[in-house]
Amino acid sequence: MAKIKRRGESGAAKNYVTRNQALKKLQISLSDFRRLCILKGIYPREPLNKKRANKGSSAPASFYYHKDIQYLLHEPLLVKFREHKTFAKKLARALGRGEWALAKNLEDAKPVARLDHLVKERYPTFTLALQDLQDPLNLVHLFSTLPTNPIPGKTLVPSEIIAECSRLISEWKVWAIRTHSLRKVFLGIKGVYYECDVPGQGGEMVRVRWLEGYEFQQYVPTDVDFRILLTFLDLYRTLVSFVLFKLYTEENLVYPPPLDVELDEQGESVGAFRLVERKAGAEGADGTGQVSKKAVRKAIKGIKASGIDADVEMDEDAEVDEEKDEDEDFVERPSKAQEVEDVAPAPLTTYNSLLATSSTPSTSRQSLLFSPYTFYLSRETSSRTWEFVIRALGGKVVTSLTAPSPDNASNADSITHVIVDRPMTAESMREMEAGRKWVWIQPQWVADCVNRQKIISAEGYHPGQLLPPHLSPWDGEGDVYRPWLEDQEKAAIEAADEAAENDEAEQDALDESEDESGSESESESASYPPALLASARDPTNATLLHAAELEAETNGTSHTTFRTQLKAATKANASKVTAPAPAKGEEDLRRIMMSNKKSKLYEKMQYSNRLKAEEKEKLEAKREAIEKKKRKGLKV
Amino acid sequence: MAPRNAAASSSKPSVSTRPALNGHAGPSRAAPSKTRKRAVDEVSVEDDEDGFGAGGSGIDMSDDEEMESVDDAEDDEEDFPEFDSELEDGEEEGVPEADDEEEEDSDDEEVDEDDEESGSESGYNSSDIDALYESSNTSAPTSPSSSHKNLTTDEKLSKMIAKNSTKPDEAVGTDAKISKAKEGEGRMVKSKLVEGGYKREYEDYEAGYGSESSTEDNPNTVGNIPMEWYDDLPHIGYDVNGRKIFRPAQGDELDKFLANVEDPGAWTSAEDKMLQQQVQLTDKELDIIRRLERAEIPDVDYDPYQPTIEWFTGEGNERVMPLSAAPEPKSRFVPSKWEHQKIMKIVKAIREGRITPNKPSAAKPNVYAIWSDADQANAPHAMYMPAPQLPPPKTIESYNPPEEYVPTEEERAEWEALDKEDRKTDFLPAKYDALRLVPGYKNLVQEKFERCLDLYLAPRTRRVKLNIDPESLIPKLPAPKELKPFPIACSVQYRHPGDTRVRAVSTSPDGQWVASGSEDGVVRLWDLGNGREVWRWDLHCGAIQFVEWSPYKEESLLVALVEGKVAVLSPLALVAPNVAAATLTHVNTAFASSAATTKMGAGKDVKGVEAIKWVRPAERERERGVLVYVEVPGTPKQVSWHRKGDYFATVATEASNKSVLIHQLSRHATQSPFRKTPGQVQRVAFHPSKPHFFAATQRYIRLYDLAGQKLLKTLQSGVKWISSLDVHPGGDNLIVGSYDKKLAWFDMDLSTKPYKTLRYHNRALRSVAYHPTLPLFASSSDDGTIHIFHCTIYTDLMQNPLIVPLKILRGHKVTDGIGVLDIRWVPGKPWLVSSGADGEVRLWCS
Repeated sequence: MAKIKRRGESGAAKNYVTRNQALKKLQISLSDFRRLCILKGIYPREPLNKKRANKGSSAPASFYYHKDIQYLLHEPLLVKFREHKTFAKKLARALGRGEWALAKNLEDAKPVARLDHLVKERYPTFTLALQDLQDPLNLVHLFSTLPTNPIPGKTLVPSEIIAECSRLISEWKVWAIRTHSLRKVFLGIKGVYYECDVPGQGGEMVRVRWLEGYEFQQYVPTDVDFRILLTFLDLYRTLVSFVLFKLYTEENLVYPPPLDVELDEQGESVGAFRLVERKAGAEGADGTGQVSKKAVRKAIKGIKASGIDADVEMDEDAEVDEEKDEDEDFVERPSKAQEVEDVAPAPLTTYNSLLATSSTPSTSRQSLLFSPYTFYLSRETSSRTWEFVIRALGGKVVTSLTAPSPDNASNADSITHVIVDRPMTAESMREMEAGRKWVWIQPQWVADCVNRQKIISAEGYHPGQLLPPHLSPWDGEGDVYRPWLEDQEKAAIEAADEAAENDEAEQDALDESEDESGSESESESASYPPALLASARDPTNATLLHAAELEAETNGTSHTTFRTQLKAATKANASKVTAPAPAKGEEDLRRIMMSNKKSKLYEKMQYSNRLKAEEKEKLEAKREAIEKKKRKGLKV
Repeated sequence: MAPRNAAASSSKPSVSTRPALNGHAGPSRAAPSKTRKRAVDEVSVEDDEDGFGAGGSGIDMSDDEEMESVDDAEDDEEDFPEFDSELEDGEEEGVPEADDEEEEDSDDEEVDEDDEESGSESGYNSSDIDALYESSNTSAPTSPSSSHKNLTTDEKLSKMIAKNSTKPDEAVGTDAKISKAKEGEGRMVKSKLVEGGYKREYEDYEAGYGSESSTEDNPNTVGNIPMEWYDDLPHIGYDVNGRKIFRPAQGDELDKFLANVEDPGAWTSAEDKMLQQQVQLTDKELDIIRRLERAEIPDVDYDPYQPTIEWFTGEGNERVMPLSAAPEPKSRFVPSKWEHQKIMKIVKAIREGRITPNKPSAAKPNVYAIWSDADQANAPHAMYMPAPQLPPPKTIESYNPPEEYVPTEEERAEWEALDKEDRKTDFLPAKYDALRLVPGYKNLVQEKFERCLDLYLAPRTRRVKLNIDPESLIPKLPAPKELKPFPIACSVQYRHPGDTRVRAVSTSPDGQWVASGSEDGVVRLWDLGNGREVWRWDLHCGAIQFVEWSPYKEESLLVALVEGKVAVLSPLALVAPNVAAATLTHVNTAFASSAATTKMGAGKDVKGVEAIKWVRPAERERERGVLVYVEVPGTPKQVSWHRKGDYFATVATEASNKSVLIHQLSRHATQSPFRKTPGQVQRVAFHPSKPHFFAATQRYIRLYDLAGQKLLKTLQSGVKWISSLDVHPGGDNLIVGSYDKKLAWFDMDLSTKPYKTLRYHNRALRSVAYHPTLPLFASSSDDGTIHIFHCTIYTDLMQNPLIVPLKILRGHKVTDGIGVLDIRWVPGKPWLVSSGADGEVRLWCS
């Protein structure tokens, strides 16, 4: 006879425990349990059958996987928590008795919980850590811009934590600049999104995306529990620092980048801070902004207070720069003591050089997008963002801090682009240019160039002009409606007028149209070129449209006529398409034979598809209405 | 009073002996053996005398004697003036004469003396430890008692020496014989019997109850009884010696009165019942009575508001009371040697530099290479669910999106009206002309916080996201085009006058005519091809329920059902003469054999079948082609022909056990195959090849063997109410339509449950029909549509029948919620005839 199965001894009843049961088992307080869960990455589960998991009770409860809790029992952190509890008691006792010496001794021997093992445990491989780096980077970025006392009288974020966060960020950015791994920039409502390609284990590239808020004081709502955020931040700081260590080590750099000796010698850190700020402000010219201010402090030493602007220097003579590159060997993981000695005399291992040079042979400077250009950042543009982006793509930067206006800059002749974010008259621009050829652009141009991976025409991006829409570089990753693509592509084509490419595209378009048109070639539509017809038949297909446009261009038809033709063709096509509508009825008939389950699933899918289509139609309709309005406005 | 005094006096000697003890410490230890022996003797004697004395006193002692002895004791007390402390003397002098006062004082003294004693103990030093030792030893046995009360100093001394000279163990031995309690009490008196011996004499025991006067003054010993028991007797009780106490002389009332008047103390006297005489109350007693009257405390001397006496609190009264008398251990005041050694060891180590105080522990570096290339990811586990990544931002989030993304006023209002959780985006899209105009995002901290909450607080489950083309779910079926021919369009309409409902329609086996039965009670015959009405039978019996042609091609027979009747019809004038002749002979043979009206039992012993009559219609009707009427109970609703055209079965649902009848034309015989119907039979059908018979009740279809007369199978339809039934010409498959919109296909070789249940009509199904030759079937419904299906039944038993929906025929109008009532296929052609509630019969052609 088979063994009798008893209730509650297997299956869901055994697999899940409620939170209260877990607390009882671990003998810790709820707040400790929360911290443990956050740090260990333990999360509640949703059992398939709640009642069964709750031993027959249908009371609401959150369930945890039984084995998760079982593993927690052996967690070293748990021991640390207990140690901390006793420590806190002892300290409170000592303080209460006024035994200051004892309190100090206790404070010195305070038990500190380390999270390294958790990092390794949660992310067994480097790739996994990189894949999960988005949240850590977001939070670290957020904290770096947080006020020390976000909610007056309630929470206090230690200033060391904020300082550490900003240090981590600058280290991360320094790395990204050095390896030129920035791939995408998107200016959103919430802030600036960046995406980097980071080499994971075995060189496998992992895309890491993060969000950096705009440079404003963060608004902190009162109902945010900072204990939770700080617990997360504890883990994330550890994770980010280990990731940075790995990345720096692989780049043959020392991590953490040693402190500037001079600043260190001056004693108190606060003074050093102030000094750096001032110094950075003076030289700030180079617009390092917040990022590089701190980065400078952390970066490899060598900046002399004499105010030599490495950037300017480099801009002036790129050849010299190249020569310097060879000298600038980053210290190859020496011991700490050694490194300080070694680094001190090394003349040019500066942060700036670090920013500007790349030791990786794969991405040579010539291949980078902005490497031939020098950008002047006007004072209303965020140097924190744009300096990072331009440098990461090989460009050089002159900020408004060194020169209040581009014509005042010492290397005004080498400037190629001026980034301005305010309306300017053509005269004032011409005046400033004084015969030099500068491209005047708004900051969005940089982001669009990065996203499209080529230098696009500055037409439409001039100061004071109404900008073309800024599109998300990640929008194409799903199948989303992209009506703007036509405009985008058009702009791209105009920018890059390569005949050969055109020919190829045309050929493709012809082939495609031949394939598609097949038997149903109509006599009345013969007047239209084939690519246009193909495009009209499938108006959503962007590639077809592109081909049609190319074709129109080669034929010499203007854009407006092309559009009217296309519209007419689409209309004609639509009327033809509606004719064989009963074909739909046949599909309906086949659905009679579907099983109940499948037909329900089908219904669901159709429903969601319909929603999507509706949304798309709505957008399209809106767009059409707007265009119509515009045209009317033009006519009037 | 007496014992308390004694107690007070007993404590005095205990104090007073101490100096003597101290003084005689040496000699008392020097000569132990002799005294010890004496002590033993003394004890034994004592014991004897004890018993004797007790017995004697119990009998002999009178009150007077007792009083004397007490006096003696007082005298004794006065014999030791030299031992009294000055303090006590002084106090005694100040004490008033009253007895109670004296008692209190004696208590005070006792305590005071105790105090002295303890005080001397607390302030001990090593020199008087010995003395202490002895005193403590001696005090243990003696202290509770007042044994030393009346002893002379010598006696006490000798006793003490005797005590101290015995070992504790031995003392235990002696204790077994001598009661210590007894030893402690009483006083030692020189024995009169034994020379030089002492005997213990006990003082009188004060019981502490009853007033002294009651025991003293009452010579009557009768006790507390009602004295009226002695009313008739000359005496009033007995005295101690058992002599009668005679009733004192009592004068009459006058005497009493006079006595009252004369005696001034009469007012303050009361009658003693026991002695039957007036007793003068004392002043004290009178005072008590007076106080009781005034509700005061009766005792004059009792002071309820005495000042508290601070024995242990207040200045100068602090006491040190050690819990143990043990001397303080050395370790309390001598520093530990081993501790010192240990400390010195550490000091030495520090001096030598082996230990560095406050040295930071060798901590791990903050960051190190935690990952290497040899790392392996954990094996995938079903319960491991990594947190989903945040989706990348879409263009809608751009600071400068294309204009169509900017919400209109309505969209903005809608977004704001929604709950936070229901919003599609957590932000409102906006368009800014320049980057410098973009404000800070207010919800950044909140969003990150919510993300954190999600990460650790939100339950995770694995959801399978189907990434399939919905079209792939649709079964792969051959295109209808390939399965032609099937009816596609309506080609002929047969209009009925007055839009009467056409309940039934039937096609002739040769495919030439269509018969329709409408609610106006007329069966019409139509030319199939041109839609002309060629014949009509007006039955005048209400609505035609059903019409069915005989499938036998050699004859032209038609059965129409009306209320209570089955009419067998034939369009004799229209058919070929030989067919007409064959039809007539077939129908009329039975008339020839019997009377014009036949009543058929046909040998069957079925009750009620007698009610069924085969009636020959009138001549005029016969000329019109009405051949026979069969009068049946109830309203027959359906008729089903046997393939050979001789038998047909009718169903009249409400006719209980005669609802199903099988009629034989050639013999004009009717049988009821079921003695008891298994529920309400809805439809019946003959098996196309075997002698089997289907009967469909509301939910089940039963298959009977007519030859064997047994039930073969019960098919469970799974529908709620069967409306129609048709058997495939092959005989192994059947379709069932139901009022609950379902069509069930049974493969009888497969199972008793439907092979497929299809639900595609929006309303109840009214009729289903297989094509007699082609692989087609159709169903009609109240939604006004007819669905045409292709069905291939394979000879291979392993292969399931192929069902392909082909076409929906629309055209019939739905009137009063009723659509297409009946459908029939045209034999030999892929054509369909349908009749509807809109008064039309339609022919659908391919």
